[in-house]
Amino acid sequence: MKRIVIILVIALSSFNAAFGQDVLDVLGVNLLLFGGDRKAISTTVDILPVAILDVEPEDGALLSGGVVEQEAGMPVLTGLPENLWINFTYRASNFQPARIYVSTNQPVPAGMVLKVEIVQVGANGSFPNNPRAGEVILSQTEQVIVYDFANGYTGDGVGSGYKLKYTLENPNSQSLPVGFQVIYRIG
Amino acid sequence: MKRYILIILFLNASISKARSQILPGTLNVTGASSITQTIDDLVKEAGEDDNVVSFESEIDTNVVSYILDPLLDPLTLGLIDSEATCRANIFRFSVYMHTNNAPQNVVIEAKTFFNAGDRYPGLIAYDLLLSPLLGPRNLYPWRGGGYIELPNSGRRAVKVFEFIGCRTNIPVQFRVKASSLAVSGTENFEIVYTVLGSVL
Repeated sequence: MKRIVIILVIALSSFNAAFGQDVLDVLGVNLLLFGGDRKAISTTVDILPVAILDVEPEDGALLSGGVVEQEAGMPVLTGLPENLWINFTYRASNFQPARIYVSTNQPVPAGMVLKVEIVQVGANGSFPNNPRAGEVILSQTEQVIVYDFANGYTGDGVGSGYKLKYTLENPNSQSLPVGFQVIYRIG
Repeated sequence: MKRYILIILFLNASISKARSQILPGTLNVTGASSITQTIDDLVKEAGEDDNVVSFESEIDTNVVSYILDPLLDPLTLGLIDSEATCRANIFRFSVYMHTNNAPQNVVIEAKTFFNAGDRYPGLIAYDLLLSPLLGPRNLYPWRGGGYIELPNSGRRAVKVFEFIGCRTNIPVQFRVKASSLAVSGTENFEIVYTVLGSVL
């Protein structure tokens, strides 16, 4: 009797797998036999490009156009900022690769040299990494700090994306001017 | 052993017979066919994937109807129209959906809501029964009416809703989650509806 029950359970399970569950083998079903019909409708989906970045921890403010400002005035007195990470999300327009640029909003005072370097790449997210090797001497002229890259996202927060390291040569112990900022731009 | 085989054969024959009783019908799908992401639908936090936010179509982007085909009356050799056929023959219809050639790194989901659409015909004798065999002629969205991800395998479809009896004007809404890895721009693909009848 047990065997009959088992056989019935197996048979009914097979039936349910074929017809009663929420998954259908489209090619394996005969609509003429089982009744029913099939229609396909053409559809379009419009997806926008996106390009945003910020620097974590969130000391800076996100502005329109994907520009991030990182306050760099205070660190001259209290020590350079450490453990800063660039996060970005990028989806290209017309397959155009993006770069990340860095510049300052004011001239670096004469006698001072402020540099930034990417020293580590985070393992989060999914992105093709292509950082510039070596230090970038900061000025008001935009310079590439991450070379051409395609679609991707770094993950959010400290430990994701590109880790930045600032160094400062300041033999005269000057201060950076009030409102001095380092600007990162993706584009 | 013979008895077991007979049982299985009998069961199998019963199922086949039940399914062969389903009358042919016609599925009709109409509606706009575009799902568009706006700037408000984009990810706001740098570093996050764009698929943490989603964008939806109109609630009735597609409108689905399914009615039984006219039948040839064997006695009079006249045609019994769809309305009369739907009035006299009540089946359970399951609607499965999948996509063909959907863009990579994009998730397409679909849903409708409980009792969406209209019974066809509007009122029939079956509705007045105290214990109708298949239950009331309602529409039941699968998984409680939440969005269901549509497979893009070309072979596998998932049930999105089912209804009892013929039904018209069923609205279907879509939601899209596009990863940052997806290609921007306009992509064309197909949404495929498969209706399957059952007497159970």
